[in-house]
Amino acid sequence: MAGSALRRLMAEYKQLTLDPPEGIVAGPISEDNFFEWEALIAGPEGTCFEGGVFPARLVFPPDYPLSPPKMKFTCDMFHPNIFADGRVCISILHAPGDDPMGYELSAERWSPVQSVEKILLSVVSMLAEPNDESGANVDAAIMWRERREEFNAIARRLVRKTLGLPP
Amino acid sequence: MQLLLSSVCMALTSAVIGNAYYQKQQFYPAVVYITKSNASMAVIYVQFFVIVFMFGKLLRKIFLGTLRAAEFEHLLERFWYALTETCLAFTVFRDDFNPRFVALFTVLLFLKSFHWLAEERVDFMERSPVLGWLFHIRVGSLLTMLGILDYVLLIHAYNSTLVRGPTVQLVFGFEYAILLTVIASTAIKYVLHAAEMRTDTPWENKAVFLLYTELVIGLIKVVLYILFVVIMAKIYALPMFVFRPMFFTIRNFRKALNDVIMSRRAIRNMNTLYPDATPEELRQSDNICIICREDMINHSKKLPCGHIFHTTCLRSWFQRQQTCPTCRLNILRTPAVNSTAMPRAGDEAAVAAAAAGNAAPAAAGAQPAGGVPAPTPAAGVDVNQAGANGPLAGGQPMPPSFADLFGDATGLPNLGGLSVSPPPVMPMLSPFMMPPQFGYFSSPPTIPLDLTKFTDEELRAMEGHQREHIEQRLRLLQNINLMLDSAGVMMSQYQTLVSRLQLTAVPPPASAAAPSLVEGAASGPVAYDKPSTSASAMAQLEAHQVTPTVGVPPLPAEKVTIEDLGADEDDVPSTVTEAASLPNSDADFEENSSELGELRKRRLKFLEERNRFANEGRPAE
Repeated sequence: MAGSALRRLMAEYKQLTLDPPEGIVAGPISEDNFFEWEALIAGPEGTCFEGGVFPARLVFPPDYPLSPPKMKFTCDMFHPNIFADGRVCISILHAPGDDPMGYELSAERWSPVQSVEKILLSVVSMLAEPNDESGANVDAAIMWRERREEFNAIARRLVRKTLGLPP
Repeated sequence: MQLLLSSVCMALTSAVIGNAYYQKQQFYPAVVYITKSNASMAVIYVQFFVIVFMFGKLLRKIFLGTLRAAEFEHLLERFWYALTETCLAFTVFRDDFNPRFVALFTVLLFLKSFHWLAEERVDFMERSPVLGWLFHIRVGSLLTMLGILDYVLLIHAYNSTLVRGPTVQLVFGFEYAILLTVIASTAIKYVLHAAEMRTDTPWENKAVFLLYTELVIGLIKVVLYILFVVIMAKIYALPMFVFRPMFFTIRNFRKALNDVIMSRRAIRNMNTLYPDATPEELRQSDNICIICREDMINHSKKLPCGHIFHTTCLRSWFQRQQTCPTCRLNILRTPAVNSTAMPRAGDEAAVAAAAAGNAAPAAAGAQPAGGVPAPTPAAGVDVNQAGANGPLAGGQPMPPSFADLFGDATGLPNLGGLSVSPPPVMPMLSPFMMPPQFGYFSSPPTIPLDLTKFTDEELRAMEGHQREHIEQRLRLLQNINLMLDSAGVMMSQYQTLVSRLQLTAVPPPASAAAPSLVEGAASGPVAYDKPSTSASAMAQLEAHQVTPTVGVPPLPAEKVTIEDLGADEDDVPSTVTEAASLPNSDADFEENSSELGELRKRRLKFLEERNRFANEGRPAE
């Protein structure tokens, strides 16, 4: 009998495969290691990220689901809640103890009832509606707030880039 | 790259040796020549390191196979730290710095890296889906070998220190002692993991064993480090090079200690405060522990907020945080109020206050308009009586959580905090059994129907502006509130019963089903009523007009509903006292337990309809 973290990840993988939510594909990079996943997230419709397919990598801790996984986009991203290196900064990925941005309610933090699916859905909604108060990427946050057109243009360029189209 | 470097090194060494031999022609002079020439010695040293490296690779191939990327990364990281620390150690022992000394440190580093790798491997066991026998042989032999080596070197260092007094061997002895503890903990972990893998069920106590292993090993390490620092500081200088590992060890030990304390507390709470989930409750919920996503067959606990999880899952979560994983109710600060741990009849005031503590925020959340007369004062009391009942509503974010609960669990907006355990539980329980959640139904506080019937004394107690007067008043209000809530719960029981009966009776519409149906309906009151109290509660209900929505309709209307739903036979006696063939209906309930999900859906639909009806108003009934 394998560890509980592994069994839970297997269960989630199975569930995500059998009943995938719209616009999200996720699974372990290799069946040998269930603690590193790759996810593809489709940009939500009606937003500046529409049409894009954004690859991301999820790394699970050994004590998952007691601790949250880490998520990092592996493509270029320009978004108020995504660090320049691709790390995603949303409250669902933060353990209730630490609060890197100092504003989050503990009610929206990680808890073991969360899941990969919920994380990815939160990321989709984060793409649709950035939270410009948290500001993982301050440039992006300011641009999103003050020069929306410019931001949209950058986002559309990124979308084309993820699709391998010329800008 | 490595190949290139080692071949270059090989070539250099052979060049140096060849050169020396060519110049001196004889073995002994050649050796002397090489040792005298610094350049040659440098090449020989480099060659020595390359050989050690290659030897290490060979051992790694034998004992570990290919390293995973993460393992390699961790190895490199730790290796560099260890290397810098070794260099720091050199500064302390600069006086006896010689090749032998360097060689000893190299051996130490070499062994250390294998300890780390063994540790990583064993940790990986828990994450790996399948492990072959090769893995076990490798890890087993590696651990044995490292253990023996550590022991031999430790003894050697000890003897040498005894014979020659404190030298650099002190450091080695200490380092090998630490490594021995590492091997011990790795071996214990290995045994635990391997034992778990042999069974098919999750092994509950493994986490506890691991925790205590960590604690004990951590303690030994901390003691060793402190001893070492003290001894070193006395004999040489402050050993800067152990500060980093010592810091991490102490931190880990503190964490382990904290974990142990937390988990003990969690276990204690688990064993004392929370009831085991009954099979009925399990069947009623979807029976999946949302922490591990596996079926809950046994060993599950129900939290005060009504959420059910595996005991083990909860325990490991409570080591991190003492909140309900679903609704984040702080379980340490919440006395187990609304579920089974409710005291029987004893301390009425405490019960009332405690229940109000739960009910008030919930009511406030669900009915901002203030349908229940006393939500605000009750909440106020809560704060007032914090001394007596613990900080009930003080710092806990209850309203949202309860609101959530209402949203998905009951579908009834104003049932108050008491219905936190979802009403669909009820049909599953035998009507004769007093369901544990409603244990305090046996004695809700009694209130005179007419306020004029208060004794002078009681009235005086509620007059005035002193604190106790106000408390008295608030207590009255709480009692009222409590009774309203209990009435609400009872109504919800009636409703579930009714909807259930309606469902079972659907195929044969009228005559055949009707009697059993009403009997079943009647069973509700018989079972749950302690006549005086519930009657007074009902009276209170009507008196206060707390039923803007139909969640808690007055009793008569409910009776009519029963008849409406069942059949058209108005002549069926729907009196409370008639409870003829109850065991039958009870058996029916049990049989139909499998249809629960469906039932619940229908029930919700039914409730919706009722709501609509109510909004259109049906005074005729």
